[in-house]
Amino acid sequence: MTNMNLYSRGDRAFVFLNMVLIALFTISTLYPFIYIASLSLSSGFEARAGNVILTPVGFTLEAYKRVLAEPLFWASYKNTFIYTIGGTLMSLAFIIPGAYALSRPQLYGRRFWNLMVAFTMWFHAGMIPFFLNMRDLGLLDSYFGIIIGFAVNGFNIILLRNFFEGIPQSFEEAARMDGASEFQVLWKVYMPLSKPAIATVALFCIVSRWNGFFWAMVLLQDESKIPLQVYLRKVIAELSDDEEFANSLMTAAYSFETVSAAIMVCSIIPILLIYPFLQKYFSKGILLGGVKE
Amino acid sequence: MSSDPNVTGPRTETLVADASEALRRRKGSRVQRVGDHLKREWQLYVMLIPTILWLLIFLYKPMYGLQIAFKDYSIFRGVAGSPWVGLEHFQTLFGNEQFLRALKNTVIISFYSLIFGFPMPILLALMFNEILHQTFKKTAQTIVYLPHFISSVIIAGIVITAFSPSAGIVNTVMGWFGVDPVYFLTRPEWFRPIFVGTSIWQEAGFQSIVYLAAIAGVSPTLYESAVVDGASRWQMMWKITIPSILPTIIIMLIIRIGNMLEVSFEMIILLYQPATYQTADVVNTFIYRQGIQGGQYDLAAAAGLFNAGVAFVLVMTANTIAKRYSRTSLW
Amino acid sequence: MRNLKVALAILGSTAMTTPVFADNHLRVVDTPLELTIHMHWPRAQGYGVGGDTSKIYPVEQAAREMTGIHLIDRTSGRNTTNNSEAMNLLLATGNLPDIVGGNAIQQPVNQYGPEGAFVPLNDLVREHAPNIQAFWDNNPGLMEAISAADGNYYYIPYLPDGKFGRAWYIRQDWLDKLGLEQPQNVDEYYEVLKAFREQDPNGNGRKDEIPYFARQWEEVLRLLNLWDARSSGSDTYHDFYVNDDGQVVHPYAQEAYRVGLSNIAKWYAEGLIDPEIFTRGASSRDYLLSENLGGSTHDWFASTSGYNIPLAEKVPGMNFIPFLPPASANGVRMEEHRRIPIKPDGWAISYANQHPVETVKYFDFFFTPEGRNLANFGVEGKTWDMVDGEPVYKPEVLNSDQAVNSQMYLEGAQIFRGFPQDYRYEWQWTSEAAREGIELYEANDLLIDQFLGVAFNAEEQAFYDKFWPSLLTYMLERQQAWILGSGNVEADWDAYLSTLDRMGYAQVIEVMNSAHKRQYGG
Repeated sequence: MTNMNLYSRGDRAFVFLNMVLIALFTISTLYPFIYIASLSLSSGFEARAGNVILTPVGFTLEAYKRVLAEPLFWASYKNTFIYTIGGTLMSLAFIIPGAYALSRPQLYGRRFWNLMVAFTMWFHAGMIPFFLNMRDLGLLDSYFGIIIGFAVNGFNIILLRNFFEGIPQSFEEAARMDGASEFQVLWKVYMPLSKPAIATVALFCIVSRWNGFFWAMVLLQDESKIPLQVYLRKVIAELSDDEEFANSLMTAAYSFETVSAAIMVCSIIPILLIYPFLQKYFSKGILLGGVKE
Repeated sequence: MSSDPNVTGPRTETLVADASEALRRRKGSRVQRVGDHLKREWQLYVMLIPTILWLLIFLYKPMYGLQIAFKDYSIFRGVAGSPWVGLEHFQTLFGNEQFLRALKNTVIISFYSLIFGFPMPILLALMFNEILHQTFKKTAQTIVYLPHFISSVIIAGIVITAFSPSAGIVNTVMGWFGVDPVYFLTRPEWFRPIFVGTSIWQEAGFQSIVYLAAIAGVSPTLYESAVVDGASRWQMMWKITIPSILPTIIIMLIIRIGNMLEVSFEMIILLYQPATYQTADVVNTFIYRQGIQGGQYDLAAAAGLFNAGVAFVLVMTANTIAKRYSRTSLW
Repeated sequence: MRNLKVALAILGSTAMTTPVFADNHLRVVDTPLELTIHMHWPRAQGYGVGGDTSKIYPVEQAAREMTGIHLIDRTSGRNTTNNSEAMNLLLATGNLPDIVGGNAIQQPVNQYGPEGAFVPLNDLVREHAPNIQAFWDNNPGLMEAISAADGNYYYIPYLPDGKFGRAWYIRQDWLDKLGLEQPQNVDEYYEVLKAFREQDPNGNGRKDEIPYFARQWEEVLRLLNLWDARSSGSDTYHDFYVNDDGQVVHPYAQEAYRVGLSNIAKWYAEGLIDPEIFTRGASSRDYLLSENLGGSTHDWFASTSGYNIPLAEKVPGMNFIPFLPPASANGVRMEEHRRIPIKPDGWAISYANQHPVETVKYFDFFFTPEGRNLANFGVEGKTWDMVDGEPVYKPEVLNSDQAVNSQMYLEGAQIFRGFPQDYRYEWQWTSEAAREGIELYEANDLLIDQFLGVAFNAEEQAFYDKFWPSLLTYMLERQQAWILGSGNVEADWDAYLSTLDRMGYAQVIEVMNSAHKRQYGG
């Protein structure tokens, strides 16, 4: 249904200029990805010498062979999916009802509860006390610990609550008249209307889970449970330790630079693939469906 | 549905609800009122409790750790076993002119990021909204958020190469216009523009997602009636899109103001040089260098507590202002 | 149940290899004793092959048979590659294993040892570890260097062997082409670099040569030596040193530094030093050599010697070789960098250990001839053989695709336990070119004493922490600005010195010297 007729003749120059600017910006942001992709396909020495600028130099697949041959790579890839999917679902299970309750004007102590959420955005316990707390809760070295331990995030709650507040209450009147409970109002009215917002919060959860490594490094003992980003760091640490005996690397087909670029490419691709899937929720017309019901 | 949802603003119902609530309040005792309320609204509390419990267990319980800002913290002795030192760590910080310089730099860099960096994702989202071609739009959106996923080390490497005096693209282009090469990364006056520019370029795409979602929530009926009235794209952007996403902008702005003292430490470490410390050194990098001798958790905690305190005051102020003028607020 | 399994495993393995270790003089305990260990270092976060603790190192297996001590992994932070983080997690839980070892343990051990987390080793070693004690006696000053502020020492360090690390390198083929001799002193070195800059030795018709370059920008400071100033007292950059009067001082507050730095600034301005030396980073050596641009550097023997052969095709005739340090303005030839004789790595006994005597005897085992060979070369007969009284690697080890050190790490040799390294380990796989360079340096008297650091008491530490990081920051800021030509060291010198004084330089030097005196006597 969009929207040729929305554009008057006077808008053409504006639209064209806009396209050009976006295209330029897009090309500039594509560069780092092209760079790491080329790096991952270059010979170890050329990558180390900084000769890779745009396209692969001394094309080779050795870095990928080195990475993909490692059983731990696949295990950590699988773990990343577990943490991302499990963690995101867990987060949404807390955040959606929590944000909804916080958005309701009739909630007693609403201001206090909201303040309590916001406070955690600036005041942090520090690494050691958080670690000891997780240990006391028996959540070290477990999938569940990682999934539950980072489920709620003040920013995401506030973001979603803010979207809920923006939804006119007139939308729920019909449901209320039918005697719907709060759960039903949330499920049948607010959630369908908030798809873009929920998709956004889900994306933030996915991204932070996908990229997160610090706490997985600290909380997990068992190597078979680590996510991809932790594995990436281990490989980098091991390869960079070769520094002083670098002459053996000079003739090697891969180097620390190419291998870490290869792992980075492998870790970015899934997140690239998931975005178009969520993107459809950012397109227009969501509210329209709601109105016409 | 009789009324146009946007004419009947979301707050009208609130006022009505508040009024009837107030009416009810006059009747019955306090206990009875709470009882009634819970009976009626218990579902809301069932929804709220898991989140609150989670916050208490995972974030508030370990907050006793904040007290190490006032202790001579020994990891082995633990928080409770470490001796109190009062405000010593704060005195160490504020008695050091390099800390004061780092604080000043932090504020300046944050201020630049706020002025130039905050509007960028909004602008980007609005620009995306004006693109007709769906494939182009979706592809471009997918690409601009890519740099967010690329490690700081790689991004810093790209920046260093781009600004290199011999091979960098920036100096090459300057050379076409007869400008002599500049060794940008050792020049204090260039550090902040380069750093702020890099973070805007790296993060604007990803940050625009929130605004894209907000724009997606604007009712198309508004645009349709505007078209009937003969409004141009430009007018619709100003009259409909921006006012509709204003609450989101305000919330994001308040949070951004609260992060004023947090500057990406990793990127600074990768880009700064002793020659640029005078403009580049921020609180986090200062603490990092102070702690070379081993884990100075206590000093870092003091700086962190100071940051959080300042952030909180800033947020409270911003929140109060926002509440007064726009009815949007964090709490 | 687990003990039974372990016991069975031991029975099995002993049965196989008993004949090799028939005599029992190395045994620490008659009945096998299990000790738990934290072992966190760059190559492996855990005491097991490549960090996989389900696999036992061949060296551990042999050590079990020889000593009766069985080390069982209990490493904390096995998935973080940051060793200090792993150590902090371990200490925070308070639940320490019997032995705590790995990378950079000196600082935490000396800080938390006096608080009771680790056992002081002075008496234990004197009474139960004759081989370690003999090592201290033969190498005076080392035990003092690792002591904590209370005078006790709390860990047995990894003790590197070998002397030279870095050396001066130059393109001999460029010298030949331009008809120049190897520079023997600072003036000749200047002329050579000038010629590299101006006479197009790479023959591409452009003046794109970079006469002096370095992978670490701090190596530009090594040029200070050419004007009799120091850049550092140890293998850590910007470190203090002990001057001729026996006083600890900092190199960047000396008169010679002013002279040296103004010359470096001059060289930089004339294009003799890589103009991008501060940002080119780790890739500079690979890039500048493979592009036929770099003329001279100061870098490690082992890795810098390796370019001529692989680059022969790309840069025909390339001959990048070590040369003797040019004599300074006062005529002194010295190589400031050398391998540090003592590392902050090693292992310590925790307060929770119920068998400190057995543990220290076990530590001592790695200082016996048998234990030292085991820790250096791996299991005899597997990776090496004794040939005329010398441990010699088997050909398959030396000719493997994998570097010898990487192979050793998987065997459990050369890992960061406390042991005296044997330079014969590295010499066997050092390239011919590097060996020649090392022999050249050995033949001349170039080495100078290292500053091995001091242990502060709480009060001194407080002074140091308060003043030193800011002082160093200020020194480096001024230093880089002077090299880059913003500001002039000669003109700014007095103001610089008075700023240092205002920032507490004198106090830092005072605590440095009081700690130094207490620790090393004199």
